[in-house]
Amino acid sequence: MTCNEAAGMIDPYIDGELDAADATHVAAHLETCAACRRRLDEREGLRQLLRGLPHYDAPPRVRVAVGDVATSIYVRRRVQTWMAAAATVVLVAGSALGVRLRQTANATSTIAEAVVARHVEALAGPQLIDVPSSDQHTVKPWFQGRVDFSPPVPDLAAHGFTLVGGRVDHIAGQPVSALVYKRRLHVIHVFVWPASNGARETDERTVRGFHEQHWTTRDLSVWAVSDVNEDDMKMFANVFASGS
Amino acid sequence: MGSHDRETDGTPRGTFDAVVGPHLNAAFNYARWLTRNDADAEDVVQDAAIRAFRYFGSLRSDNPRAWLLTIVRHTWYARASQHAARPRLVEYEEMTHEQADDRPDPEALALQRQTADRVRKAVELLPDDFREVIVLRELEGMSYKEIADVAGIPMGTVMSRLSRARERLLAMLGPTPLAGEAR
Repeated sequence: MTCNEAAGMIDPYIDGELDAADATHVAAHLETCAACRRRLDEREGLRQLLRGLPHYDAPPRVRVAVGDVATSIYVRRRVQTWMAAAATVVLVAGSALGVRLRQTANATSTIAEAVVARHVEALAGPQLIDVPSSDQHTVKPWFQGRVDFSPPVPDLAAHGFTLVGGRVDHIAGQPVSALVYKRRLHVIHVFVWPASNGARETDERTVRGFHEQHWTTRDLSVWAVSDVNEDDMKMFANVFASGS
Repeated sequence: MGSHDRETDGTPRGTFDAVVGPHLNAAFNYARWLTRNDADAEDVVQDAAIRAFRYFGSLRSDNPRAWLLTIVRHTWYARASQHAARPRLVEYEEMTHEQADDRPDPEALALQRQTADRVRKAVELLPDDFREVIVLRELEGMSYKEIADVAGIPMGTVMSRLSRARERLLAMLGPTPLAGEAR
């Protein structure tokens, strides 16, 4: 191996990037060549010095910022996915209500989607109701001991909404009371659970053709969902809220 | 922002943390050496994180660090171009400032009493393309292959840039006292 050849291999040699044969040749050359040996020594000396260079670690605020960035994109993307899956998502716009909705839009979208999903699944499932009764005084006490709150169960027969019964269900991992009403052949689900930390929200939207009405009564969160027309849905929400 | 839900298992969000988190220091270090100041480095890493999350699907799982650093490099380069302060390219440096650049800046270097400061300053004075191969090799311990991936250059170019970068550093720092200090 000539000096020129060896000189060109000094860097990969000290970086451990040569294959065994070349490394052996360079090592043998270094034994006999003072000039190349000096070249190697210089570089190893330099490497020693470079070990003292600062390694700039990410400051905590950068870690936090990166986490926030990723989270916000993640949440936004998830919402976009829901919106693509849904035929329509109607947010009530304008007014103070619209502003409040936007603030909680992410969380509310999740629930609105979950409510529709449970509505559809329950209709397709084997057991729509566990307590079949049109008597509010049978259905309401049935929930005692099954959930740790007492859902409103108004009698709305006079308005054309017949109570069919109820069951305990789960939405977003928490137990909820599910009430089933009927308007002609249409099933209306009412899901009730304790509202989180005093939230007082109102919402109405259409998800995959199902109309949803959401409100908070006292400290309970109420979601009504059905395939009845929008006017009937609004009427149902009104008479239910005023009757409970 | 700041108090959104953080899912940890099986979700893209959690996977992103698990994959990127361990290499955030390397990403910041690389950005810091490229930009040579904290504020720009923070911006670059933050922008890079956005890109990384968007293109998470393009991650070849065998080397997330090289993948992330590649994104940091692209982000830095795009920003530098945008701000009209184009990265200093080796070719430009060598065609026009070869002689001037090979001499240490006497004022800048003479003021640096501490060896560590002198070395840091010398590395900062390197053209961008030389500086990055030194940082990736000596501080991140990357292989030629990894450096080639991050910098988007052939392995042979990695080797020659490293060699020339070291020659420049030796010229700037002066070989004789260094060898004495290091041994």
